[in-house]
Amino acid sequence: MSDMILEVKDVTKKFPGVVALDHISLSLKKGEVMAVCGENGAGKSTLMKILSGSYTEKEYEGDVFFNGQKTHFQSVRDAKALGIEMVYQELNMVLTASVAENMFLDDLPSKGPLVQWKSLYKKTEELLVSMGMEEVRPDQIAGRLNSGQLQLISIMRGISHNPKLIVFDEPTSSLTDAETKVLFREINRMKEQGTSVLFISHKLDEVFTIADRVTVMRDGAFISTDNIKDIDEDTLIERMVGRKIENQYPKTKSIIGDEVLRVEHLTVPHPSIKGKNIVDDVSFSLRKGEILGIGGLVGAGRSETLGGVFGQYTKNVNKRVYIDGQEVSIKSPKEAKSHGISFVTEERRLTGFIPNFNINYNLSLCWMDKLLPTLFINRLKEKQLTGAIFNRLGVKAPSINTMVTNLSGGNQQKVVLGKWLIGDTKILFIDEPTKGIDVQSKTEIYKLLCELTAQGVGIVMVSSDMPELINMSDRCIVLSEGRITGEFLHDEVTQESIMRAAISEEK
Amino acid sequence: MKTNKSVFYTIFSQKETGAALPLIILLLVVLVVNPTFYSSSNIFDILRTAAFSFIVAVPITFLMSCGGIDLSLGAVISIGGVICGKLLKAGVPLIVAILITLACGFIIGTLNGLAIVKFMLPGFMATLAMQYVVNGINNVWTGGINISHFEDSFKAIAQTRIGGIIPISVIYALIFGFIGYLILNHCKIGRKVLAVGGNCEAAYLAGIDVTKTQILVYALTSMIATFVGILYASRLGTVQTSIGNGSELTIIAAVIVGGTSMFGGSGTILGSAIGCILLAGINNALIMIGVSAYWQSLIFGIILIIALFIDRYRQKMLN
Repeated sequence: MSDMILEVKDVTKKFPGVVALDHISLSLKKGEVMAVCGENGAGKSTLMKILSGSYTEKEYEGDVFFNGQKTHFQSVRDAKALGIEMVYQELNMVLTASVAENMFLDDLPSKGPLVQWKSLYKKTEELLVSMGMEEVRPDQIAGRLNSGQLQLISIMRGISHNPKLIVFDEPTSSLTDAETKVLFREINRMKEQGTSVLFISHKLDEVFTIADRVTVMRDGAFISTDNIKDIDEDTLIERMVGRKIENQYPKTKSIIGDEVLRVEHLTVPHPSIKGKNIVDDVSFSLRKGEILGIGGLVGAGRSETLGGVFGQYTKNVNKRVYIDGQEVSIKSPKEAKSHGISFVTEERRLTGFIPNFNINYNLSLCWMDKLLPTLFINRLKEKQLTGAIFNRLGVKAPSINTMVTNLSGGNQQKVVLGKWLIGDTKILFIDEPTKGIDVQSKTEIYKLLCELTAQGVGIVMVSSDMPELINMSDRCIVLSEGRITGEFLHDEVTQESIMRAAISEEK
Repeated sequence: MKTNKSVFYTIFSQKETGAALPLIILLLVVLVVNPTFYSSSNIFDILRTAAFSFIVAVPITFLMSCGGIDLSLGAVISIGGVICGKLLKAGVPLIVAILITLACGFIIGTLNGLAIVKFMLPGFMATLAMQYVVNGINNVWTGGINISHFEDSFKAIAQTRIGGIIPISVIYALIFGFIGYLILNHCKIGRKVLAVGGNCEAAYLAGIDVTKTQILVYALTSMIATFVGILYASRLGTVQTSIGNGSELTIIAAVIVGGTSMFGGSGTILGSAIGCILLAGINNALIMIGVSAYWQSLIFGIILIIALFIDRYRQKMLN
């Protein structure tokens, strides 16, 4: 019929309140490497889950044709049976099992119920050698390996099935340069054998090295597909970020005062990769009434920068922190709070609110000790304090006694922000302030941030939402691989310059 | 119809319903079968038994509310009596003996807390290990031999009856319960305990001293357990070296049946009281009804399961 291995036709996937994929179509030739580029939240991962069978055909609209046949995936197994393999960004390994068991997890060589260990180890050994990983033994426990080795093993696991189509999601994010070269060699080898490759990546230099064609997605929509020869990096970046900016940012010019916070040489070790720092010698300062934006890709160390200063992480963290010019020591959130720092975290469900508390209790939690000094909680005073914030934030709820879990995302976000505003906050850290909330709540949160800066509060705001970052920040720094790779003032910042800094390797 | 539903809803939206409903049914059944159950001496007997469990159940309610568990409590109750008894036999004045015993309990609990909170050992196993350690010390120290012949002043601690009727342990239980209720519902530390149990990470990031809170709760739980050990010794006039062994799970069951969450974040002192009365009541009632002792364990287990089902249904309805 055609030389197309994969054809995606008009696929739409909706989540409550969000269209993750909006009438996406793309096609992939046999033996071709196609890169898929886009910002965080562009819909790349959702597309992948559709191809892998993670979403059954009933869960999306549109058709996927594989080898000319319409697919009817009910599970990941169905996709595998057709020859589609996935290599995920997050490691999905059984860390307590051996390398060999992980490699052949779904089809251990066996005779009846017994595993043929000898043949399993032999096969694994051959694969390891082919990837230049002679130092790893097949019977080694996977948890002992570093994340680059684990990633290579999960890549190998995909390759070993001789798939017709293999999808890589950010495969190089934990690989060293040498390991990346091994991966590219394997991709080229598979290509010669007629395997098609979808290569999802932020790293444009890799895209230009390995891909034949490149597809750009943005906000769940298909933007373009080009031969790699016909496009340059600038055009690609422009297409990745070039969205229309609506006027939903009530940013007012605030009076910027003296320096309120200075952080010097902040270093936070990587939680899973030994010897690597997720935040690597970052220094910045913040002034009264200023919003300092921190941009960058997921995993660049932005949240960890805030957490490192705030005392969320303490183990092997190095830093010097000055507040109003005075050096202070912050070894716990409690100490950070006592210096007037507040922290609204990214994951409100995990680290923001107490799920079994109502709005009232959640709001009074942070400043309880200071504002309610009596042994017994003065409920009247508590209600006065929380009630004032509740009204100021415009939380939409039947009453202040409503359980916080019954609120919408936007209203929950107001509560986790409000719990800090009840006391005297001098410095506000806010991580992804409008993640997963509706447009109206977004604007209300922006207004609130502007009110705070007008009162002289300094705000450090981490954001993956480019328009938000550009419009709300007075100044903006960009992190890549734990280092600052760009700094821009409000007037000179563009989406392109942020993106360029965010994907730059070293500076 | 509408009012019917709302009454139903009100009843089932209370945490304590899981224990209260079986208790009411039990009381009604006994009323029909054997009304002598309701003699004041029998009622106070039940309440006294419940009181001993309840005094430990109060701190356990706190402990479970902040996401903890302690399997060493039975052993700690036992050794509480032993420590106090040994000290008295050595001629230590009563009040000093009691204070030293309580301090020992506090230390045992602090060790539990440190192991679990600071050194991140799994609570279930760490406190199980502590149970063996404490039992071991008890065995080596006493050789399993009971200690008896105490002064009347010691016996008076638990044997006194107010007005000749109300056992003083019931009064202790009321005091502990009342203080526990106030702390859990009206004090900042209670709010913090619930916050830590509800979402430890969020509580930490809100600037609450999570470590200190948890260790304090472990320490106080063990301390109160040693106090109950003293009460047992006083009531029996003898230190039975294994009096508390194995009782921790029964008390934890009473607390959970009473409506305290197994996973932290919510707790009710009233519920724990009802749970303890239910457990003491079942045993007593079965005897009064004339059920053979062989059946008691079986029926006890079934009633526990029913109570848990009611609680599960209750939570489903609320969501």
